[in-house]
Amino acid sequence: MGRPDLNRRQLLGGIGGLAVAGSFGFAALGTGADALASGADARVRYWNLFSGGDGANMIAMLDAFRKENPGIDVKDSTFQWGNPFYSKLAMAAAGNRAPDLGVMHLGRITGFSPGRLLDPWDVDLLAKYGVREADFNPDLWKRAVIDGKLYALPLDIHVQLCFYRKDVLKKAGLLGDDGRIVPVTSTGEWFDVLKEAKKATKKGLQTIGFWINDQNFQWWFFVAFYTQLGGTWFNAANSEVTFDTDKAVQVLEFLRQHVTDGYANPGMGSVGAEQFMNGAPFAWEGNWSVPVFSGAKLDYGATPLPPVFGKQATHAESHAFVLPHQSDRGGATNEAAHQLAAYVVQHAQQWAAGGHIPAYTPTLSTAAYKELNPQSEYVSAMDHQATEPKVWFAGSTGILAQRIGPIVVSSTMGSAKPEAVARRMKGALTQLLGMKNPMDGRTAAQGGAVA
Amino acid sequence: MSTAAQIRVKPRRPWTPSQIVLTLLGVAVSVVFLAPLVWALFTSLKSETEAVEVPPHWLPKEWTAQAWSAIFETGNITNWFVNSLVVSVCVTTVVLTVSALAGYGFARTEFRGKNVLLGVVMAGLMISPAVLGVPLFTTVQQMGMVDTYWGMILPQCAPAAMVYILYKFFQGIPRELEEAAFIDGAGRWRVFFTIVVPLARPSLAAVGIFTFIASWNNFLWPYMVTNNPDLMTMPNGIATVMNSYGIQWAQLMAGGLMAGLPLIIVFVFFQRQIVAGVAHTGLAGQ
Amino acid sequence: MTTAGTETVLAPPRAKTAALSATVRRKQGFQHGGWFVAPFLALFVLFVVWPLVRGVYLSFTDANIAGDSANFVGLDNYREALQDPQMWDALGHSAYFTLLVVPCITVLAFLLAMLAHHIEHAKWLWRLCFFAPFLLPSTVAGNLWQWLFNPGTGMINHVFGLETPWLTDKSYAMFAIVITTLWWTVGFSFLLYLAALQGIPAHLYEAAKLDGANAWHRMIHITMPMLRNITGLVIALQILASLQVFDQAVVMMDFSPGPEESTRTFVQFTLEEGFTSYRVGYASAISIIFFVIIASVALARMWLLRNREEGGR
Repeated sequence: MGRPDLNRRQLLGGIGGLAVAGSFGFAALGTGADALASGADARVRYWNLFSGGDGANMIAMLDAFRKENPGIDVKDSTFQWGNPFYSKLAMAAAGNRAPDLGVMHLGRITGFSPGRLLDPWDVDLLAKYGVREADFNPDLWKRAVIDGKLYALPLDIHVQLCFYRKDVLKKAGLLGDDGRIVPVTSTGEWFDVLKEAKKATKKGLQTIGFWINDQNFQWWFFVAFYTQLGGTWFNAANSEVTFDTDKAVQVLEFLRQHVTDGYANPGMGSVGAEQFMNGAPFAWEGNWSVPVFSGAKLDYGATPLPPVFGKQATHAESHAFVLPHQSDRGGATNEAAHQLAAYVVQHAQQWAAGGHIPAYTPTLSTAAYKELNPQSEYVSAMDHQATEPKVWFAGSTGILAQRIGPIVVSSTMGSAKPEAVARRMKGALTQLLGMKNPMDGRTAAQGGAVA
Repeated sequence: MSTAAQIRVKPRRPWTPSQIVLTLLGVAVSVVFLAPLVWALFTSLKSETEAVEVPPHWLPKEWTAQAWSAIFETGNITNWFVNSLVVSVCVTTVVLTVSALAGYGFARTEFRGKNVLLGVVMAGLMISPAVLGVPLFTTVQQMGMVDTYWGMILPQCAPAAMVYILYKFFQGIPRELEEAAFIDGAGRWRVFFTIVVPLARPSLAAVGIFTFIASWNNFLWPYMVTNNPDLMTMPNGIATVMNSYGIQWAQLMAGGLMAGLPLIIVFVFFQRQIVAGVAHTGLAGQ
Repeated sequence: MTTAGTETVLAPPRAKTAALSATVRRKQGFQHGGWFVAPFLALFVLFVVWPLVRGVYLSFTDANIAGDSANFVGLDNYREALQDPQMWDALGHSAYFTLLVVPCITVLAFLLAMLAHHIEHAKWLWRLCFFAPFLLPSTVAGNLWQWLFNPGTGMINHVFGLETPWLTDKSYAMFAIVITTLWWTVGFSFLLYLAALQGIPAHLYEAAKLDGANAWHRMIHITMPMLRNITGLVIALQILASLQVFDQAVVMMDFSPGPEESTRTFVQFTLEEGFTSYRVGYASAISIIFFVIIASVALARMWLLRNREEGGR
């Protein structure tokens, strides 16, 4: 071993030492490279769960905001949709490391411990940036108010839709004179429609994609059709389960029949949208698929889920802005968070392109919105909302959906009989009603964090 | 070192029929093992629309680096890369330091309650963030270290296994070496740093390499303790943030390769050390 | 780096016989080692012992994620856990996964090691190929195989001409995770076997050859017995690691419990209760139950080892 070797070792040692020292220094600073690089007056950390088309629209709105407000640096982060996002948001708020602004589903607000994990909005500050109560659907606004304080600023209403390919349905003779799908008012009519559509479908494609193995979608569809039948969940005091197993069986059998009659292929459960784009006549999807299908230049329409049990009703939820709890909330960053949320809510035209129905009502009456298609075809869905019961364990991907969704799937997939599944659902509901909200130790009947 | 490697002349091996069969078998198995990685690489070089074409095909019809440039433009990837590096380097340094000291302390020095303590540490082998994640999180939460580098780093720095490995090693060093130094009047710390540590270099390298790999790839604990995407490490960011873009598989594969390739490249160059390191740490469990 | 391999046996120079007068100094040298152990001990107490103690305490309370003052609820959490079908399901899934993975990985690792050990050309290449997947982060491996198993656009169905709904049907989902795990982790056990194979003294084989033993006999009578310890180690490490499976399963299932909840593992269940349902008290009780299970496995192994050693003597 000669000198050069020693030098090399010294060099390696030097580099290693620098790396170690640098790493420790970086860790001591503790904010991450991006925050270090930011030189703006206010840096708003904003967390959302918008992927795909929604994500692109949100980013476009944020970019517009950034252009108009160069003094505010917006750091947006998109998380895996559903529970990973809610876990992260709760853990960050509990650990007092919450972002400045977040997005949640309105149904989850009550269970998210307003006052503990969420901070209330400063209504005056919102008004300063142009957002007032009068501009919102009163029912929607009411759901966001808890103990007299506003905890959520609604952005939209989003619904489950029945997408259909006009080109395929035309071949099958299922389009009316107005170029829209023929009306369907019973399960019999619906399956007749599927039968005709199947004949006109290309080989290798299923007739309808409706997320057979997805616990969330199956649960949402169940809620929609169960509401069409006039089914209820709990009594007014949330002390008794009023779930009607006979009605539930009807819904479950209806969903299952899509599989047994060969219209939906279990192997294609998660790729319904791709199948639809390749020419499958139907897909039941959330309205967020509108930009995907429009982007693919399909000739298609979208209606609320068909009223096969006689009454209109389709599952609906809302996205809303929230302020995750920070013990030192205030100052320029907090004001910037208000400003950003107010801006996005008011500039929801872009958001409507993503298929959502804007919560800010002035948007709905603009000519630009009325021209949007197929949005105008299903905007009526906001008047027939089927929502989960208003209890602490409800809301998008909440405990209720987590517990009951898989039970619904087991029926649709055929691993369990509808009667047994309905009984299990009732059992689960009974158990949940007796459960205490971990955040305040009260059951739903005791008013566990319910507004 | 390099000279030594060159001097070792490889004896010529004949290509006997059995060798040919075995080698062909080896090639076949290797193809199976590498195919997923190659598939990831090709996917990352397709456009997003080509990536989801049915039926799938191996080679991109149009080679494009759009996925790679996209992940760099959004910026998160570089942040996560730096974070991974910072966390792994810090963890490795702290682990090496404390476990070398502790291993030596347990192997060579006497103090009251040593055997009881050693037993407790060995019992600690059974505890990991997978087993006690929730209480560990609340502990770190109490310390106010959720969403901090230290919250990620420190809980990874008490690996009983590494102490055990070094303890075993130090026990194997002949006492006489140190005794001689003590007689010459050297202090305990000086003996440790000038005699014991140099002797232990291969073992320390093994522990260091293994710790670095484990820390670089660690998902569960950083996943629990970091929510702020600015602070996430590669495995965590890819799984919880990047994954959420939906069906952008080309980008996802590019990001995955960014996370996986550094270690694989390092492996190509330091194969002997890493193989020895992994085998050594693993075998110590015997 | 000088000598690279750790297998190097250090041959120190013979020490001088210590002079009698130095006995005192020598003894002092080994005294008061507390300071050496202190830094590690501090970290160990803070991040291993204390969470365990805290976990036991929390398991008797109804603590939530926000860390509010919790009420003492006695054994309620444990009672609920033992009657919770979800917990038994989750435990069942982790056990089933372990049952599938451990034998496969052990056999596969052994075969790969034999292969790599006996090919005489380009030895580094085989090591690299078989071990490389292990160097990927778990989440990357999970994403990659989720992509490979994708219906329609995935390569697995395409290459084998299948139409299997790997990730969306409960009869396949667990197998998909097992296959991913095999590919990803077999490299580690493979290396252990390879190191053990290289450690078998060559003279044993030469002696056997002289005695006229053929390759098969040499494997049965020399290789296999010499690998007994390492096989025990591989199995034990794999059981402990497999019971704690989490990463690849949740990534492949997009953080859901899988089709009809067929792949929710025990760790996932614990985290869901703690971080999704915010029930930290209940989650702690489940964690303690899990700790007892893991500890029993580890203790069982120690007991087996000791028995064998005593039997051998």
